[in-house]
Amino acid sequence: MTGKWKKGLSLLMIAAVCCGLMLLIPAAGFGAGKPIVIGGSLPLTGEFAETGQWIERGMRYWAEEINAKGGLLGRPVEFKIYDDQSNVGKAVTFAEKAITVDKVDFLFGGYPGTAARAVMAVAEKHKMVYVSMGGHMKSFQQGYTYSFGAPPLMGEWWYEGFFQWLNSLPPDKRPKRAAVYTINNPVGLSLLDCINRWAKYLNINIVINEKYNSPLTDATSLIVKAKQNNCDILFSNGFFPDGVTTIKAAKALDYHPKAIVQGIGSVVPAWVKELGKDGDYVFSGTVLHGKLNYPGNDKLNAYVKKKYKLDGYPLYFGFGYAWMQTLQQGVTGANSLDQTKIRDWLKTHKVNTIAGTMTFDKYGLPAPINFCTQIINGKVELIWPKKIQTHAPVYPKPAWSK
Amino acid sequence: MQRLRYATLAVITILLAVFPVLKPEVYYLSFTFSVFMYVILAASWNFIGGYTGYLSFGHAAFFGIGAFATAKMAAVFDLTPAMTILATIPAGVLAAIVALIVGYPCLKIRGPYFAVVTLCFAFVVDLAVKNIELLGGAEGLWMKTMDFPEQMSRSIMYEVMLVLMIITLAVSWWLGRSRFGAGLTAIRADEEVAETMGVPTARLKIQAFVLSAFFPGIAGGLFAYYLTYIHPDVVFNVNISILIVLMAMFGGGGTWLGPIIGAVILTVVNEGLSTFAQAEIARIIYGALFIIVTIFMPNGIIDFFRKKNR
Amino acid sequence: MRRFTRNRPGPNNVDAVLVTQSLISGIMMGMVYALLSVGFSLTWGVMHVIHISHAAFGLLGAYLAYSLLEYLGIDPVVSAALSAPLLFITACGVYQLLIKPITRAKEVIVASMILTFGLAIILENVMVLIWKADPRIMTPVYASGALIVGPFYFQYPHLVGFGLSLVGITAIYLFLKKTYTGMAVRAAWQQPEAAQLYGVNLYRISMITFALAVSTAGAGGIGLALLNSFEPHSHNLWLIYLFLVVIVGGVGNVVGTALAGLLIGVVTGLSMAFLPFQWVNLVTFGLLMVFLVFRPHGLFTEGV
Repeated sequence: MTGKWKKGLSLLMIAAVCCGLMLLIPAAGFGAGKPIVIGGSLPLTGEFAETGQWIERGMRYWAEEINAKGGLLGRPVEFKIYDDQSNVGKAVTFAEKAITVDKVDFLFGGYPGTAARAVMAVAEKHKMVYVSMGGHMKSFQQGYTYSFGAPPLMGEWWYEGFFQWLNSLPPDKRPKRAAVYTINNPVGLSLLDCINRWAKYLNINIVINEKYNSPLTDATSLIVKAKQNNCDILFSNGFFPDGVTTIKAAKALDYHPKAIVQGIGSVVPAWVKELGKDGDYVFSGTVLHGKLNYPGNDKLNAYVKKKYKLDGYPLYFGFGYAWMQTLQQGVTGANSLDQTKIRDWLKTHKVNTIAGTMTFDKYGLPAPINFCTQIINGKVELIWPKKIQTHAPVYPKPAWSK
Repeated sequence: MQRLRYATLAVITILLAVFPVLKPEVYYLSFTFSVFMYVILAASWNFIGGYTGYLSFGHAAFFGIGAFATAKMAAVFDLTPAMTILATIPAGVLAAIVALIVGYPCLKIRGPYFAVVTLCFAFVVDLAVKNIELLGGAEGLWMKTMDFPEQMSRSIMYEVMLVLMIITLAVSWWLGRSRFGAGLTAIRADEEVAETMGVPTARLKIQAFVLSAFFPGIAGGLFAYYLTYIHPDVVFNVNISILIVLMAMFGGGGTWLGPIIGAVILTVVNEGLSTFAQAEIARIIYGALFIIVTIFMPNGIIDFFRKKNR
Repeated sequence: MRRFTRNRPGPNNVDAVLVTQSLISGIMMGMVYALLSVGFSLTWGVMHVIHISHAAFGLLGAYLAYSLLEYLGIDPVVSAALSAPLLFITACGVYQLLIKPITRAKEVIVASMILTFGLAIILENVMVLIWKADPRIMTPVYASGALIVGPFYFQYPHLVGFGLSLVGITAIYLFLKKTYTGMAVRAAWQQPEAAQLYGVNLYRISMITFALAVSTAGAGGIGLALLNSFEPHSHNLWLIYLFLVVIVGGVGNVVGTALAGLLIGVVTGLSMAFLPFQWVNLVTFGLLMVFLVFRPHGLFTEGV
């Protein structure tokens, strides 16, 4: 009995001590030109790995650029990026690790919205400036002062540009009957907000308004209902997998609405790459775009073209870059590493990023950014506002190509 | 020798309890908090899984019920921090009641079919919470953060989880030595034979199931308060359900020490790998760990060491 | 554009066309799930091995087919046939190295679950390393067309998946019923001791069963990949459906698996027609729970 007990205990001890020792060792080694460390977690594996990796690439590109110019406040920038495996609990503990053990100079990370929501609380408690995509409007109404959506991924703003464009059309050309299918999660629900407001204003009858839970394995019934009800505009408020399922079903079932509006499924490069012509003509929104005449866009485009052979940088690449830009300007503006000083500076000054000029309100949000996009010939074109239009919109939607 | 065992336990407990006084970095409190949580989950699951042989694959449901119940109560009644922590107990009771209602029909099902019915149950609860606004909805719920400095609030949560873990492990210890536990083991060995011997199998199974849901419910409530934001995808996650099963059986089902070892090793190793290895490589090593340990210790770690000392 | 709206149904009116169309696509999808599940069911029933990485092997088959399609223009159906022998050989190796050692465990079911769980994680991350985490869509020439019969659409990818499924499941069924090896497999399952007395090498039979099961996984994965987009993480989702189909059909029962696929397809199709979409998944899982409470051994209790 004792032998087994001792054995078991020693195993426990050894394992715990070994791994505990691993955890005690803090982050990156520090050399002579002490680097500035930016730490946090991203989902590098698991369900959200694709977007997590794009965010990381955007951030690293920013670091490359800034280090080539002498660094931040004269010091080189380094990252300490943990993989939270698409797990919110881990995102929180890694954020705490970055702050309290690695004692990073700045915090980042937290994707998707559910993780960002949880990390915002951590940032607030530790009084660390936290620039991220946020967790949609509700998360910015919790009274956090250190969080900034710079720019945020705000479902509530996403379709503003699209509806403003629709408003510019003569009333008889606008669609009349809408089929709205929304994924039942924070992103989807925040997209609905915009639709409800504008549909009333534009006299669009929301004939079908249904939510679905992930996974959407078959969109056949959704399309059949939309067809049967003569819906001439389809809102697919979801992610890539359900967006693809919906588009494929729409094509196969010969559904020809005047317009298809996609949530955030069409912002990943795979949409254009995998769907090809079938992915064309969907409308969506964005807060970033390579063709916008903001500083840095052309450099990002060139880099992404060379390294990843893409026309225009993916949204999440841009996000990673833009968040770091904001942080950088806050740091140089306040000329300090003090989080509260940086926060106060950001709340009282403008920043110029690839997302344009932003000033932040007390919630940490800029003025609503709402560009309308349409995918035309495999490229994400800007449709609205008119002055930054890169291509005339194609409306109504042409027949599916066979 | 018994005294040595008790002494070791007492020493470990005291060390753990005193740890926050040393003012370690908040991360260590948080991480240990999560280790305690998984120990509680695995050890409670063990009541129905390891001891009784009914592998529940939906145990995250009880964890989530506790989380949402606590968050909802805190919001509706505007509870203070102390009351919120106490509210986890009725949340645990709620989880236990749900276990009672669901267990009654489901425990009549054996083997793999029971596993799948519990898997379905977890999905049903997850989808119900997402679809019904009143229960939380698909937005998730926020809780008010504690108005103390972070070091203190994390220390409080740490101590509370430690207390819960000690209680759960005490119950687990008692179970291993009680008639109740012997009855459960008899059920696992051969249920028909146990019945003919007069063991009240139906009653024992339900009691074990209810007990196995109570502690995860409380743990869920504490987890919710620790995150201050919960969402169905976070707490009803099927990965948690599967991980609990693996932790308990990896360590050795049906033993007191097994779930503790399984939970500690898997959580610590996962964290260590994520910290030091590149993301995909860390996952591959983690996967390989399962394979290697199972090949050398196919009956769980405890059993392997037990055999070596024959 | 066709109009089916003679009586102009409102959004809450359900007409026969919607129901039938829903059933059609539901049934075809259900059968594709059945194809992926049949190997999983066999492994579980015959060897008492819960092969958690079964779906991951299926996903591997899908990725191989995707790459063959993209770089060599090979149709996924051909890839399904090609993947079978490849996966068969790989599975033999996996069996010898990983599975065979744990067959001596007290509870093979639990040990196999833990081991194959680890294997699934490894496979997933190997796929990430090779193909990146980006989602993929299988786009053969018939990717988004449909066969139109009256007011009903039979989407080509669904039809192909359905066809693959029928062929695959029938092949397994015939193998088990008509060939000597197949009969040996059934014998080993039903009466292991007696089978051994008659000269059946249990280890060899187990290996063949395992390898056969995994080789069908490739076709199943390709079928599923024809229906929806996929990425390295998808096998987790597929695994849930595997458990459902196998349990409804009865563990180890090939015909049961096929019927379970049909049943689940019917249930999903009907719920998508009659219920708000928000409740479809919940109803599917809920009905399954109820089904299991009343019929706790699945559709069939016995053999192949």
